[in-house]
Amino acid sequence: MKVVRRPKKGGNWKNKMMNSDNNNSKQPKQKSLLLSRKYIALLIVCIITGFIIGFSYNLSKDKRTLSSASPQFEQENQYREDLIAKKERNKELAEELAQLEDKIRAYEKQFSSNEAQYEQNRQDAEQLRLLLGLSAGVGPGIKITLRDGDYNPNTTNPNEYIVHESHIFKLLNELKIAGAEGISINGQRLKPNSYIICNGPVITIDGQQYPAPFVVEAVGNQEVLVSSLELSGGVFDQLINEQIVVTVEKSDLIEMKTISDE
Amino acid sequence: MWLPLLGLIFGVVLGILTDIQIPSVYENYLSIAVLAALDTMVGGIRAQLQQVYDDKVFISGFFFNIILAAGLAFLGVHIGVDLYLAAIFAFGVRLFQNIAVIRRLILTKFENRKLNK
Repeated sequence: MKVVRRPKKGGNWKNKMMNSDNNNSKQPKQKSLLLSRKYIALLIVCIITGFIIGFSYNLSKDKRTLSSASPQFEQENQYREDLIAKKERNKELAEELAQLEDKIRAYEKQFSSNEAQYEQNRQDAEQLRLLLGLSAGVGPGIKITLRDGDYNPNTTNPNEYIVHESHIFKLLNELKIAGAEGISINGQRLKPNSYIICNGPVITIDGQQYPAPFVVEAVGNQEVLVSSLELSGGVFDQLINEQIVVTVEKSDLIEMKTISDE
Repeated sequence: MWLPLLGLIFGVVLGILTDIQIPSVYENYLSIAVLAALDTMVGGIRAQLQQVYDDKVFISGFFFNIILAAGLAFLGVHIGVDLYLAAIFAFGVRLFQNIAVIRRLILTKFENRKLNK
């Protein structure tokens, strides 16, 4: 038994060797076929891998170009540029307007110097322009300050002693009736189409907010203006009746800007 | 030996030239596909160098990995968990391991050649 076994073992080992040798010797024969199969598999995988990589590269590139030029961003830019252009154009036009107005005034002056009857017209035009706020109001006038009344602990309602827009309306109407040529409130020139809104403790004039005290300046005949305001039962009496502190002062030189300066 | 490389280049060119738009929802899948493909390719090279390469394993691994990763990502999208991260992690780790093995194999080969000389 022992004797038989040994050669067997050896044979097995030899067989293994032979097998591996056989495999080695077989390989060159099948090499071309094996290689081609292997290569085809590798080729397919490589092509697919390359395709995926290239495709995703392409995709991310598209996205990058998209994000840098997103429609919203472009639109915003467009609007901004438009706005700037419009603003510049506006400025140009405003300058042109000022020049033309100067020209017109020069013409008018020329005419009026030539013919006496035009003097009256020119003055009228100047008057109207003052009212419209198109020319700077300079001259003697009055300055009225409306101040909120002192805090009164007996009244719980503060509305009873603060300045409302209705008070200002009264004052303005009286001033206009009395022939004020130009009116401004806290430095804001009033136009014929100005609006005044009461907005809590402040008033809004043409979109600008002003707190109390309100300084109303009016260019015009001082005597007429003051006496018209001081009529008994007139504006001042009404205002004082409503706990508002009113001070009037005459000024020999009140200056107001034109509307376009603001 | 140069055929796979040519194939790779061909594939890249093809991919760049294709002009298909896919919805951004599916971009996760694409990233996973890239990783799976790269992983399989590097794995194939390693197997080749270790002389255990089998094209059946290679091909089936390639497609199976991609499908599995895409399926995982799909599941993740639908249950609201970023499961595709798991695939990315697994593929990334394996990619690095395979590349390390390849590097070592090449280094030893190089040294052996030097010693033989």
